[in-house]
Amino acid sequence: MATLQLSGVCKSFGTTPVLHDIDLDIGEGEFVVFVGPSGCGKSTLLRLICGLDTIDSGTLTIDGEIVNDVPPAKRGIAMVFQSYALYPHMSVASNMGYALRLAGTPKAEIERRVEAAANVLRLGPLLKRKPRQLSGGQRQRVAIGRAIVREPNVFLFDEPLSNLDAALRVDMRAEIAALKQRLGTTMIYVTHDQIEAMTLADRIVVMNAGRIEQVGSPLELYRRPANRVVARFIGSPRMNLLPGALVGDPAAAEIGVRPEHVRLAGVGHGLAGTVRMVEHLGSDLFAHVEIAGVEERVVARLDGGREVHVGEAVSISVDADTSHRFDAQGKRMAPAHNDRRTA
Amino acid sequence: MFELSQRGPRILFGLTTVLVGLFLFAPIYWLLISAFKGNSELYRIIPTLWPGEPTLTHFSTAFTRGNLLVNLKNSLIVSGGSAALNMALAAYAGYALAKFRFAGRRMLMIVLLSAQATPFGLLLITIYPSLVAFDLLDTHLGLILASIVFALPVSTYMMFSYFSQVPGELIDAARADGASELRIFHTIVLPISIPALVTVFLYAFMWSWNDLLYSMTLIVSEEKRTIGPGLLLNYLNETNADWGGAMAASLVASLPILIAFAIVQRSFIQGVTAGAVK
Repeated sequence: MATLQLSGVCKSFGTTPVLHDIDLDIGEGEFVVFVGPSGCGKSTLLRLICGLDTIDSGTLTIDGEIVNDVPPAKRGIAMVFQSYALYPHMSVASNMGYALRLAGTPKAEIERRVEAAANVLRLGPLLKRKPRQLSGGQRQRVAIGRAIVREPNVFLFDEPLSNLDAALRVDMRAEIAALKQRLGTTMIYVTHDQIEAMTLADRIVVMNAGRIEQVGSPLELYRRPANRVVARFIGSPRMNLLPGALVGDPAAAEIGVRPEHVRLAGVGHGLAGTVRMVEHLGSDLFAHVEIAGVEERVVARLDGGREVHVGEAVSISVDADTSHRFDAQGKRMAPAHNDRRTA
Repeated sequence: MFELSQRGPRILFGLTTVLVGLFLFAPIYWLLISAFKGNSELYRIIPTLWPGEPTLTHFSTAFTRGNLLVNLKNSLIVSGGSAALNMALAAYAGYALAKFRFAGRRMLMIVLLSAQATPFGLLLITIYPSLVAFDLLDTHLGLILASIVFALPVSTYMMFSYFSQVPGELIDAARADGASELRIFHTIVLPISIPALVTVFLYAFMWSWNDLLYSMTLIVSEEKRTIGPGLLLNYLNETNADWGGAMAASLVASLPILIAFAIVQRSFIQGVTAGAVK
């Protein structure tokens, strides 16, 4: 386990700045997830922590020691890559033991550690196979096993589940969560999948355009997003944004409402609109409602048993205590005093 | 694969393929049948398309007259050495060009490929005095070093193309595991590049094996002579032209390349097409 501190970290590729002044403290044994849209710099930040790219300015400290110039293998870090990056000509056992062989670890110790990791990840019968003889999920487990045998102080995961199909992704997510419980090691995980972020993280770091937008627990980010970027990124379907003036709050530029907080009623009980699409998910139903003066369709999450039809005229209403106010710059505003907002 | 159903294109593509096949195969066929013809049949005004009375006489003379076996051994040494050296240099240079960013990289690539366009005879003007200066004239080592000019530019480009396809994450993973750049190259990249290495080896081997100009100019001792000049000087000199013997000896001389190609043709094709599609 280790603590990790990023202080004023900047990175550019050529003349293009990629990361701006990143400050972040990660505690011992914490599971931190970097999320953000493609190109926001989350993978670059992970590569800087691993030592695969160099930091232009600022410092990276691991357990109190500045490691900017320390090579990757000496940082006590192990990384799991998106494409698994298994050595195709080596057996599973050789893949897992490669780093230890390079470090000059005695053969018996390598075998012991590989076996222990294989037991944890149920890879025992596969140790002699080559990566091409494994399924996607098995390869992913080997990639994790390769990281585990190094007994690192920090694990880095770069979108490790993005190559797996949906069902396998759920299984592997549970496996990573179990691994976190078992090892208790500090873990940093990059993903653009917010379900992974919400379910795995102790804290989520939301990044956008090379900057950290907000750091907080999954529920904190969901309930109190610092700005409209975070508000729109966390939550699926994403938060609805309505013009403040339209819902009786002209002081706010936009009012954000989670789909589960949108209330749908018959005509005359709020903002008038028309249902344009209905998605049945079994337990839930998503109604996409077109409202004059609102750019995007408003999505309402309703009970799966409810009857809503495309073309139906409806009205929506929102409550002040479940909605979020944003100013013209997209920053969160304090709640308004009126306790119910409808149009 | 596509089914070529339209008549016009089918005739055009089919005819072109047959013509190219005939053009390439006709000399080999002529070599093959001539090697088995007796002299009386060989020198007929109207040639036959199949040996009337097949004979192995030319093969027995090929092995008893001249230094065919010595020539073959010398060629194996020179072509094998040259191909190995070419493969090693192309692998290191190709990897550097594919995986590292440095000033002048693009210019170096252009210079490298333009070297292939320079006539080999022209290069001989500078190679010859260089070998003389290092006392390497009339030595196998001298010819090995000189022969790499045939294939090295294209070989380097082939290796560059192949290495460009090696995923960066694989190299990053090895870096994170603590491997040095050289160790990554030797223990991770090279073992997965065998098809490309075999291709480059075979390509350079063929160039060297088929060479006449350099081996005629840079080797003068009979006992060091390679197969190209050996065939020419043994069978087709100013006073004598033993076509039957030349054909039989040429067939024997072609066998190593044909056998090598037959063995590794699958990886050769893979290597040539590597990088063409993902």
